Amino acid sequence: MNSQEFKANLLIKRPRYANSRIPVLEILANKGSRNSEYSQFGPIYELYIYAFMLGLKKNLKLPLPPRDLTTDFLELGKWKRDSSLVDFLLMIVFTRSEELGFDWNDLEDMEDAELNNVISKIITFFEEYANGGLEYLHGLLDKGELENSHYMFIDLYKSMT
Amino acid sequence: MASIINSISFKNFFNYYGDFEDTRYDFEEGVNIVVADNGAGKSKFFNAFLWLFYDQILDSDDKIKKGIKDVAVKIISDKAKNETAIGDSVETGIQIEYSTGRWKYQITKSFTATRLRENITSFDSWQIIINDIEVNQTDHILPKYKPVYDAEEKNNIIKQLILPNLRQYSFFQGEEVDSIIDFGKKSSIEEAVRTLTDISKYEELVSLTKDFKDKAEKDLNKQTKSNSEHNDRLEKAIKLKEEFEKNLGNEEVKLVEFENLYNESEREKNELEQNFSNAEKRNELDIKIKEKNKKVNEIADEYSSFLESINGRFFDGAFSWISLGFENVESDFQEKIQKFREIHYEKKALKNISENPNKQFHFLPLDSPDSVSLKNMIDREHCFVCDREAKEGSHAHNHFIKLKNRAVDSKNDVEFVKNNLEGFFGGLQINAQPFYNKISSIEDSILKTREREIALNERLTKLKKELKVLKDQRRDILISGSEDEDAQTVINRYKGAIRRMESSSFQIERLKETIRKLKTNIQNTEKEIQSLRSSNIPEGYLLNYQICSDLADATEKGKDRVFNNMVSLLEKYANEHFQNLIKYNELAGGHLKFDKTPSGAIEFNYIDNKGNLVTGAAEGFQRMKKFSVVMAVISANTNKYNYPLLADAPLSAFGSAFTEGFFEATGKVFPQSIILVNDLYDKDDEMKINELGKKIIKGDLVKRVYVNQVTEGVEQVELITTKIKLK
Repeated sequence: MNSQEFKANLLIKRPRYANSRIPVLEILANKGSRNSEYSQFGPIYELYIYAFMLGLKKNLKLPLPPRDLTTDFLELGKWKRDSSLVDFLLMIVFTRSEELGFDWNDLEDMEDAELNNVISKIITFFEEYANGGLEYLHGLLDKGELENSHYMFIDLYKSMT
Repeated sequence: MASIINSISFKNFFNYYGDFEDTRYDFEEGVNIVVADNGAGKSKFFNAFLWLFYDQILDSDDKIKKGIKDVAVKIISDKAKNETAIGDSVETGIQIEYSTGRWKYQITKSFTATRLRENITSFDSWQIIINDIEVNQTDHILPKYKPVYDAEEKNNIIKQLILPNLRQYSFFQGEEVDSIIDFGKKSSIEEAVRTLTDISKYEELVSLTKDFKDKAEKDLNKQTKSNSEHNDRLEKAIKLKEEFEKNLGNEEVKLVEFENLYNESEREKNELEQNFSNAEKRNELDIKIKEKNKKVNEIADEYSSFLESINGRFFDGAFSWISLGFENVESDFQEKIQKFREIHYEKKALKNISENPNKQFHFLPLDSPDSVSLKNMIDREHCFVCDREAKEGSHAHNHFIKLKNRAVDSKNDVEFVKNNLEGFFGGLQINAQPFYNKISSIEDSILKTREREIALNERLTKLKKELKVLKDQRRDILISGSEDEDAQTVINRYKGAIRRMESSSFQIERLKETIRKLKTNIQNTEKEIQSLRSSNIPEGYLLNYQICSDLADATEKGKDRVFNNMVSLLEKYANEHFQNLIKYNELAGGHLKFDKTPSGAIEFNYIDNKGNLVTGAAEGFQRMKKFSVVMAVISANTNKYNYPLLADAPLSAFGSAFTEGFFEATGKVFPQSIILVNDLYDKDDEMKINELGKKIIKGDLVKRVYVNQVTEGVEQVELITTKIKLK
């Protein structure tokens, strides 16, 4: 697998979210959903990325339920097309390679099956932190602690730095 | 004695919620002002007087005056309606107290409404019973009011407040001044003159003396014919004179026709003038409103899409908010990639050396030296890098060749790892730059976003405010303009009227010239007739004719003089008032002039210092001109004017410089004036009036000042008008 193939294999993956997060997604992202009383993100991946980063910041890692109880969405490669956003996300992921349990140089000597396993781990990494972030948002929403303003997401985000 | 309104109070009348004692406004002799913003009960206040005088109110929805009973449900305060249970009743009314001489009167008009159904705004939900007019009377000695029972007396008491024929000079909404003083009709100044002089008696006299003259002439001619020596010649001369006179008669009829045409066109012109200036102004405002609306929508769109785009800034590489708090990513990654590369290239180097030991020397950067230089070095057998000879076949020369073939060789490189990910990691680092390079400026970018939002919001608020002002202005014009006709039709009709005036004016001039010639001919023929007359005509006939003729001339001139004198007097007073009205305005300096039009009517112009006609169609200026004539009519009256002025917003188009003059002038002309005005209102001021308002109310002429306010931010059913007494 060369660089292009490796990246392509990563980018065709569709991360998943737990079905229990669907209400949060409907309220906080407006793609395919009604208008909400809260400030919203556009496509689901925006909220997903936000939740993922929130999960990382607050170290909220939460495994997904079994596959049948989850839903997938857009391929990683189609998040924010023509942007280097996904590259930045991958940069973050690869700085956490110890946590993921691999070494960069080792990757170069792996068989395809092993490498695909690493790719799966990366996707799980996305999913688990995003799930943690979404759970956190879900909690705020339920407790009515989300301040309804156009700046609610950035304010919340800033408060964690 | 002058009628002075002492107070007015309302009961559940529009927004004036509550009983009479809750809403009482006290007034005094002199100037009284009620300041109110649009919607704060100004027109409603005026409506109370419309009810008093005419049992009507002006429906603010369509600007049409309607009978009280027809719009009763609209009149009742919504709050009062809402508080009335089904089956219960609510009373709505107005109460006015006024004094004249030793008497003081209290007049109450009211109706009772019983609620039948749930929906309070539906006319079907209420049963309306108009109550009897209550009029009470007291003299200043009696402590108590006594009721007046006689219906006619009641009506007379109401009439006496302002006599019906004088109400046009005393009771109007600002925009109505235009139609009240209709200078378009020849009759308008004449009518004013007639009410002020006994000109009609002069006219009777003129007609009588002309009859005498005609009869005396006939008698004389009869005598002349029977006595003349040269009958034939005389008869011919008389015939000629009769022919001239017949022609004169015809031409005079034509003149009257053209004068009528001229007057008719002028009337239409003047009637349209208000609409024309309104139409122009409406047009102008419509354009402004359209532009402003467009701007408001643009900014509103910009604002709302700006708000919607805020979250997008997390993911937009130009803002990269998402990287906030991930400052370490760049250095962590750099550390890792460096380590990765060391091992990666070590592997490569080892592999290459084992495959082709020469490759270990390939540490020069790619394309260095460039291929052209290498070619030169090979051809000339000389190394330009270390400036040494390198003969063909030497180690150095072979090295040149190897370097030159580097690019080709690299393709043949043996893969030294299974998965070469150098490009992958390097690519991530290069591509993701927009996100990690901006981290330090994100806080600033968030701040700027807020600033931009605030700026946009302020801009939008300002634009909306400006739009509201324009719409208010537009609505004020609506009152006097005819809304059915579009502005362009009005402009075309106006231009047509001017064209007809011009052509009839030309005809009038031509006819007048013909008439003048005919009159000269008649005069000369008359002289010839006299020469042809025999001397033996009885003297009495000749004398009788001469006296009657002189008398007719004299009365005609007398009538003209009285008329002209009164016109001059009106002109003099109008100018005095006008100067007072405009004394704080830069226009001061010119004067008003009454000019006779070709048809003999009076035209009213404003002439500047250099004698030029000022044709400013500005609504406020036109109105100010007319208002000075209203006051002139009052001043020219030999009796003192005994009635109050009640005016709703006559200032709306005057401008602040006029406004100050207006209050001074009105205080001098009318014994009492009650002016309802919004131009002095200032929501943000502690006293709720603007600087001009404060200046005006300091004056001695101003006796009472109220500011009306409505409760803000409440439902219509909770809306009430309250007042603050400032003076």
